[in-house]
Amino acid sequence: MFGLKADWSLDVQDRYFTIEDYEGAKPRWCTGCGDHGVLTAVHKVCREAQLPPEKIVAVSGIGCSSRLPHYMGTYGFHGLHGRALPFASGVKARRPDLDVWVATGDGDCFSIGGCHWVHALRYNIDMTVLVFDNAVYGLTKKQSSPTSPVGLKTNTHPTGAFLPPLNPLTVTLGVSNVSFVAQVVDWNPLLVYETIKKAHAHRGTSFVRIIQRCPVFVEEVHKDLQNDPSQILLLKHENGIPTNEAVERIYPNQREHDPSDWNAAMEIARNELQVPCGLLYHNPDAPVYDDWSSVGMGMSDEEKIAGINKALDSFSI
Amino acid sequence: MMRKLLTGNGAAAWSARLARADYIPAFPITPQTEIVETLGNWIDNEQLPARMVTLESEHSMITAAGAAAATGVRVFSATSSQGLLYAMEMLYTVAGWRAPFVLVNVSRGLAAPITLEPDHNDIMAARDSGFLQIHCADCQEVLDSVLMAYRLGEDERVRLPVMVNQDGFYLSFTREPVDIPDPGAAARFLPDYDPENIRFRASAPVSQAVAVLGGAPYSYFRYESHLAARQALEVYDEVAADFEAEFGRKREALEAYRTEDAEYLFVQLGSFATKAREAVDRLREAGWAVGLLRPRLFRPLPEEKIRQALAGRKGVAVIDQNLSPGRGGVLHAELASVLFGHADMPSILVSFIGGLGGRDISTEEFFEMARVTRRAVEDGKAPPPRLLYTETELREVRKLQAIANAERADLEKKP
Repeated sequence: MFGLKADWSLDVQDRYFTIEDYEGAKPRWCTGCGDHGVLTAVHKVCREAQLPPEKIVAVSGIGCSSRLPHYMGTYGFHGLHGRALPFASGVKARRPDLDVWVATGDGDCFSIGGCHWVHALRYNIDMTVLVFDNAVYGLTKKQSSPTSPVGLKTNTHPTGAFLPPLNPLTVTLGVSNVSFVAQVVDWNPLLVYETIKKAHAHRGTSFVRIIQRCPVFVEEVHKDLQNDPSQILLLKHENGIPTNEAVERIYPNQREHDPSDWNAAMEIARNELQVPCGLLYHNPDAPVYDDWSSVGMGMSDEEKIAGINKALDSFSI
Repeated sequence: MMRKLLTGNGAAAWSARLARADYIPAFPITPQTEIVETLGNWIDNEQLPARMVTLESEHSMITAAGAAAATGVRVFSATSSQGLLYAMEMLYTVAGWRAPFVLVNVSRGLAAPITLEPDHNDIMAARDSGFLQIHCADCQEVLDSVLMAYRLGEDERVRLPVMVNQDGFYLSFTREPVDIPDPGAAARFLPDYDPENIRFRASAPVSQAVAVLGGAPYSYFRYESHLAARQALEVYDEVAADFEAEFGRKREALEAYRTEDAEYLFVQLGSFATKAREAVDRLREAGWAVGLLRPRLFRPLPEEKIRQALAGRKGVAVIDQNLSPGRGGVLHAELASVLFGHADMPSILVSFIGGLGGRDISTEEFFEMARVTRRAVEDGKAPPPRLLYTETELREVRKLQAIANAERADLEKKP
């Protein structure tokens, strides 16, 4: 009896990971930056899933948020501006066993990496993409980004940005084979955690736009939204992001939204009067590119030769 | 004229303003960003009647710059490092369009590892693109060179885009007193852009599209770019003479410092040459006949001037702030090919690699390079290329490696 119990507990306790196992260097983001809370949520989701740190790869491009891999006690890749998604695709292509996380931002993903953004969504490679959207280029100290609101005074537009900002949700939803689109604000830790947890659990490219504060350069951008929770539309559904009473008390405007309903998702995304928070769209059955890119991985040399011979035989007359 | 304390970036912005650039495609990147921010500020405050568009990448930025220049507009842009390399495909393309404009590159080392600090690998990567290259050593030179670059690139004998290079941090963020010419004087020296045969007329539409060409015509047009770049040597001298007449500053293609009777010469590009000048002074005080050559014009390379300047010297120390892995310093290889086969050329050309990723080159290292070069001349044999690196630096890196190894060993001990 005791022996059995000891064996059982050894199996379970063999490797138990704590938050410390997922922590890397001490974060150097500014005080009050929204990125800190997201990082904490990522660590917690990793612990919750008990992912072996050596099976995790955190990949990024360039920007404030792209420092995230430094703060993970896992494998990581601090890439080049705009290239986070191709790096991630390369990592995942022949190592489908790895758990790939992508940290990118409104500059990195929507501007210089825009082309990769569209195609990564279509490839639907199994990875969790966190877009830290602070509506400004923060690392280079306050220039307009594609999501800078009209009138935002930046160093490239001192009298105010004049083009309407890009809507990342409608663009993302518009890509064929998109499989997971969620949005959250960085200042609600419970929602951030639940959103990232759901995103991570999805097999395919999980796109999470995180509306993120940058109190150093553009505090004014999200101040209204922080002070007035009624501007947020909380999306609720049994298949959506779990909420609780505390969250529901904060956000009076709520809507029951089935995440499998693409048309409703698009309608919510297009309504710029309210900021949706929750799971806009989820299609767990969308084809995943990993299934093609990992073909033949377990084949022996003999099997490969047999395959080649079979192909050559098809040309025989 | 007004005299102001300006950073290299500030000087670059002023030069675009004085050149009356009309279109400025932009994308931020450290350490260049201040240039486009300064221009953006002037435009928004109606001090500069130009349009600046922030594009989504440097690739689009150079594409837009070349396309706008092809419509007959005077274009200015600026970038650095990864940005320049991201635009690489378009650098070759717009140079092939023969669309003249000026691009300021603020030199910064390339990934990986990622660095924000300067070296010349970025600009060297663009060496064969067809852009002409002017390398600056101080902030005044940045302002002067951009004005000269427009004259040079827009000249009908040249018609090529020009890059003006300044070192990140050492120039981009360093304030120096800079003479800002009167707009009138600048306009006298640099009149409005006359695009000649690329004027757009509604009554006679002409496509500027570039054909897909095979071997013979392709070779012809590529070689024509080369000939145009070679013609820029002569045009440069004319432009420099006009510049001196207007502003009183000599901006030669090849700057020579205390070379009259020098037996040994340093050859170097960019802002670190100002440290070489100081080292030359100190070595002269110690009785060494040493001088400095600094090519300002790197494309086209003023080969004849280099040969004249090096004729009869005993030894040359070439300092490269770039590294071509598997080969060594780019400038060293270029100089060797310039000298080979000509009479009276120095037979000793010692290669030094230094200043990578913002690393300093100390005065003592210049002394050491002079000593190594003199010994090579005595031995009649040049030593292999040498990386400037001190014992202290090596110890620091070894310490970091030891920490990493200890951490790794610790990790491996874990179950």
